Amino acid sequence: MERKQHKWIPELQEQLRQGKMSRREFLRYATLLGMSLTAAEALAACAPKATPTSPPATPTATSVPPTPTPAGPQRGGTLRIRGNVGRIDHPARYSWVANSNTTRHVAEYLTLTDENNITRPYLLERWEASDDLKTWTLYLRKGIKWNNGDDFVADDVVFTMKDWLDPDVGSSILGLMSYLQPTNIEKVDDYTVRLHLDSPQIAVPEHLFHYPAQIMNHRTFEGDFIKAPVGTGPFTLEEYSEGERVVLKRRADYWQMGADGQPLPYLDEIIYVDLGGEASAHIAAIQTGEVDVISEPDTEHFLALKDDPNLQVVGTPTAMTRVLRMRVDKEPWTDNRVRMALKLCQDHEKILKLAHFGEGLPGADFHVAPIHPEYCERAVPKYDPERAKALLAEAGYSEGLTVECAVCSDWADVVAYAEILKEDAAPAGFNIVLNTMPTSAYWDIWTECDLGITPWTHRPLGTMVLTLAYICDDEGKPVPWNETRWCDEEFTNLLKEAEGTLDVEERRKIMCKLEEIQYERGSVGIPYWRNVWSIAHKKVQDFKGHPTQYDLFNEVWLKA
Amino acid sequence: MAVSEKVMPSISARPSFWLRLRDALAPLLASKVALVGLALVLFWVLVAIFAPFLTPYSPREQDADAMNLGPSAGHPLGTDHLGRDLWSRLVYGSRLILVLAPLSVLCSLAVGTTLGLLAGYFGGLIDEVVMRLLDAMMAFPAVLLYLIIIAAVGASATNVVIAITIAGAPGIARLVRSLTMDIRTRDYIAAAQLRGESPFYIMWVEILPNARGPIIVDAMLRVGYAVFAIGTLGFLGLGLPPPAPDWGSMVCAGRRYIWSNPWAVLWPSLAISSLVVGLNLFADGLREETMRYQ
Repeated sequence: MERKQHKWIPELQEQLRQGKMSRREFLRYATLLGMSLTAAEALAACAPKATPTSPPATPTATSVPPTPTPAGPQRGGTLRIRGNVGRIDHPARYSWVANSNTTRHVAEYLTLTDENNITRPYLLERWEASDDLKTWTLYLRKGIKWNNGDDFVADDVVFTMKDWLDPDVGSSILGLMSYLQPTNIEKVDDYTVRLHLDSPQIAVPEHLFHYPAQIMNHRTFEGDFIKAPVGTGPFTLEEYSEGERVVLKRRADYWQMGADGQPLPYLDEIIYVDLGGEASAHIAAIQTGEVDVISEPDTEHFLALKDDPNLQVVGTPTAMTRVLRMRVDKEPWTDNRVRMALKLCQDHEKILKLAHFGEGLPGADFHVAPIHPEYCERAVPKYDPERAKALLAEAGYSEGLTVECAVCSDWADVVAYAEILKEDAAPAGFNIVLNTMPTSAYWDIWTECDLGITPWTHRPLGTMVLTLAYICDDEGKPVPWNETRWCDEEFTNLLKEAEGTLDVEERRKIMCKLEEIQYERGSVGIPYWRNVWSIAHKKVQDFKGHPTQYDLFNEVWLKA
Repeated sequence: MAVSEKVMPSISARPSFWLRLRDALAPLLASKVALVGLALVLFWVLVAIFAPFLTPYSPREQDADAMNLGPSAGHPLGTDHLGRDLWSRLVYGSRLILVLAPLSVLCSLAVGTTLGLLAGYFGGLIDEVVMRLLDAMMAFPAVLLYLIIIAAVGASATNVVIAITIAGAPGIARLVRSLTMDIRTRDYIAAAQLRGESPFYIMWVEILPNARGPIIVDAMLRVGYAVFAIGTLGFLGLGLPPPAPDWGSMVCAGRRYIWSNPWAVLWPSLAISSLVVGLNLFADGLREETMRYQ
């Protein structure tokens, strides 16, 4: 049984019982507060649904991993994956997901956020958060061995974390975990680490699964993982040829057990093959059987392979989006009526259908996605050029208004979105001139242009993007990534309140207000939330997608 | 009547307009290659002129229920990823390319000819400075030069013309300079100098008209290159901003869907190549024939 429950657990359980919270949300928050997933699932089962009033549109997580094949997983075989085999040295310095995917099965993370957005302990056995969310105690799983035979201990965790927070290493985690000072990482004993945060933070477990956060062995690691590929993972690194391939071999004494009671993994070997950047080469390779999986597939792969009878194309909803951002300190966007007018010119369903093949969910002009745990459901606004025209006239632009929109021509769906908006906004009186530029040029001006379309990536919690992009500091200055310069005191205060609120119903209530404010007087249009895809041959079993396109192949097996 | 009396003698004094046209076209009509080229080019010119009569659709009209379709009765060439009629986009796209390509060549002609005349006629230090600068520019591959210019000034129709002007002018200047250096030694130039004509009169009135043959053939070839250059820029996403029905941009956008709808790539590619081939055949035929008479 659990030693010590977080004081919120009974409260959460009560909410679940009353139907105020979905089962999935209960699991999420209970595991976030340090309860093991099995214990949380047991508690969830103890709380019978009181009312059928609250089922969310999202599917609930199943308590037992589904076993689709009665025969069970078969062992053996080589899984070939098309991947990007770039130069790597220090995992903390990884700057894109592809770097982490090739080493993800050698070195591991303290936590794991699964495809349903539930974060659970991984190398950790469990964690505990103090009531003020400022002290986090991490309990390491005992009995885990590095692949060189060393024991996995607290020194490894402390050593790795200090590297993350060392400015000389230059890890992106330094910014992500700015609430933690290196001196405030305390080793309690060989299997316990305590973090003393500067400010309350609920997303610590999620941050521990950020892709550069692979845990290194403090005895062997000297800044280059290729030279000393010692990890706790199910595979060992046999070969790493930059630009060519990565060969991973199964290790016999991995700590996780498979369905047959033997240690994972089921596969004997994983080979990542670098086929260059051209999608047609990847497409040909998977069609001829040269590779079994395309890692990080893009739209081109999806379009070419979606109807292939030999392949499985798995779509995973994400909070990844394209943001129509209007700078509220520049004319004419200073006037909320003009901003609302442009927002009303979006036909969300049509944009999703034409720009992203209907693969995703329509947006509703606030930056919280339906897959976020604290999402408050709101209707998708209707396309309404008449009202937009009236609003423009009210704002003094009855003759129409010409505006320039910065568009990166390398992002096909952004261009399609811009073209659709231009046509659909014309009846309202907008003449949108598209100013196209290459990717690098757009990233030079993305915080500066008056009107533009910026890609925003997936983040597991709704509050995370809002804090990054839509608030101002105590002096009223917009935070660095606030590309629209939108400052709203009520919004900022409510968001702070939401970040410190654990009660789901209360949190969602605040989120409803936040969404309302951002829709009514905010600075962005959100056309849709993109799906990402995972593509594999049908013989690859238990193959799942992940919203951040992480390759998780511990339990994948090949059907003979 | 007084008017016609005044006009008639002037016509009878010179060969009639039609006779002169026939003389001018004689080398062209003699070359089958040039005729094929002319036919291709004329096809697109006529399409551009009569665009509104050739298609019921606007090139920007989107149809969310008809995306990425193959050829059908309603859409003879099919539709693109936003449900726009490909034929109407090709037709209106021909207007763009047939204005922009000749315009950009005219601009580079103006710049290149001026520089070439100055360098060739005055020689000496002016020649050295102008030609070394132009040589430096020619050291860059043309596509790289386009990319640098467009990336610096942004993508628009005007900037595409400017980029092609800048990239094309050095070649023209070089040609004009060599012609000028040759013609400069002729007796009629010495005569004009003796008459006390200004250098600019001599350059523009005495030298340039006598150098026009090779310049015209070169310019015809350059229009073909310009079509190609505009197509390339469009393909690289640096051409005319969307939703302009620029052929290169159409190829670029369609490329993404090539597995499900190859038509959206095929038609604009065919359009670009037919126009470029037409212009090149025309220029080649013209050159062959004019060379024969020399």
